[in-house]
Amino acid sequence: MNSVQQRDLVRRAVWSAIYLLFILAPLFALLLGALPPSRGFGTEFSVALGYSGLAMMGLQFGLTARFRYVTQPWGEDVIYHFHRRISLLAVGLVVVHPIILFAVGSKHLAMPDSVQDVPLGAYFAVLSLGSLVVLVVMALWRTQLKISYEIWHMTHIMLAVVAVGGGLLHMVGWSFYLVDPWKRALWTGMTIFWIVLLLYVRIIKPLFMLRRPYRVAEVRTERGDASTLVMQPEGHGGFRFRPGQFGWLTLWGSPFKITGHPFSFSSSAEVADGRVEMTIRNLGDFTSAIPKVPVGRRVYLDGPYGAFTIGNPADMHVLVAGGVGITPMMSMLRTLADRGDKRPVILFYGVKDWDSVIFREELDAIKARLNLSIVYVIAKPPEGWTGEKGYVDAAVLKRHLPPPFAEHEYFICGPNVMMDSIEKALGDMHVPLSKYHSERYSFV
Amino acid sequence: MRRLFADRLVLATAVIVIAMAVLFAFTRIAG
Repeated sequence: MNSVQQRDLVRRAVWSAIYLLFILAPLFALLLGALPPSRGFGTEFSVALGYSGLAMMGLQFGLTARFRYVTQPWGEDVIYHFHRRISLLAVGLVVVHPIILFAVGSKHLAMPDSVQDVPLGAYFAVLSLGSLVVLVVMALWRTQLKISYEIWHMTHIMLAVVAVGGGLLHMVGWSFYLVDPWKRALWTGMTIFWIVLLLYVRIIKPLFMLRRPYRVAEVRTERGDASTLVMQPEGHGGFRFRPGQFGWLTLWGSPFKITGHPFSFSSSAEVADGRVEMTIRNLGDFTSAIPKVPVGRRVYLDGPYGAFTIGNPADMHVLVAGGVGITPMMSMLRTLADRGDKRPVILFYGVKDWDSVIFREELDAIKARLNLSIVYVIAKPPEGWTGEKGYVDAAVLKRHLPPPFAEHEYFICGPNVMMDSIEKALGDMHVPLSKYHSERYSFV
Repeated sequence: MRRLFADRLVLATAVIVIAMAVLFAFTRIAG
């Protein structure tokens, strides 16, 4: 393990501890000072789960607040994966809370004689729980429900705020543990802090972006139904990125617009004038408008993000790309070429057909500037094709890579199915986790 | 594999949080 990996490991451990602290410290703070009489194990256990669940829901705003220092040791795709999985746990805890109360026959869940007798805290509980359930259903089955990403994103944020705000009002309204003013202040302060994290991403960051716009300098048509947006910073020097990283692009409207779209940079990181390029394939949604973007249009970029970036391998870079997953790899190749790096690089590029090979001509040309071998793996090869056919798998990797496989540094980007298959293949080839890097471009 | 690592973190968080909720409840009933 090199020093960078050791540093990342320490940072992961520290952030994990801080995450747990933010969940558990406010819970155990409730045990300090004057306490109301205990109501039995089941009730107290369910209450602890409810408080923990709310704290975890609030921390979701922190996970998606795009703090580079937090996300860098993990990679943005892993953070979003954790965000999705931990939300199921948080919702589970919040749902189990009233179920346990029912099970232990809590008098608080007894049906009141009239609507007027329903305590305010109960209304907020239903509001919070209902929002959470809708939020989770929409997040899990957005595609099946045919909800556009833009509508979903807006609704997701609103439901999350209602769920967390409702949860807090439920606790305050019940006035059991939070009857103590300082405890109420602690939990209210925490809720405000979570909402501020949201405001940071939605208002403070866009304010900075507003002062650092970009202009579309060129829109290039690429193979494989893809287009490259060339963007030039306007009135500022741009930012430096590392090859493989990505940015959030706001194409139509101001940076305050709720939906930015994450795309990898495809240009060289060695460009000095701040110009950046993103190569985007038409997937039939927002991306279908990319070829029609007028030159000169003002756009906004939030970045760079991501831990998927070339390192300093002892022997060989092995790049494995599927479809439009070639874009971060192209940035890596262009950067290595601009740096005059002559270490061996091998690119495995899985595509549907020969005409869909994005950057085909440039890949051929860039070989002259690098020690680069390219293995195209084509699902529907043209007649007379003598190269690899089908999909990139362990057999293809083993045919073209020199042993020992564990010595190389692997970079993988492509569709989820391909990523899962390659990760399994590398595991079978005994490549340690520290030797491969991946980024799932469909992480949002 | 990296996502598997994240899944394990979620599992660890679940175990810790539930254990702490049990501890919280025991602390309460123990007075």
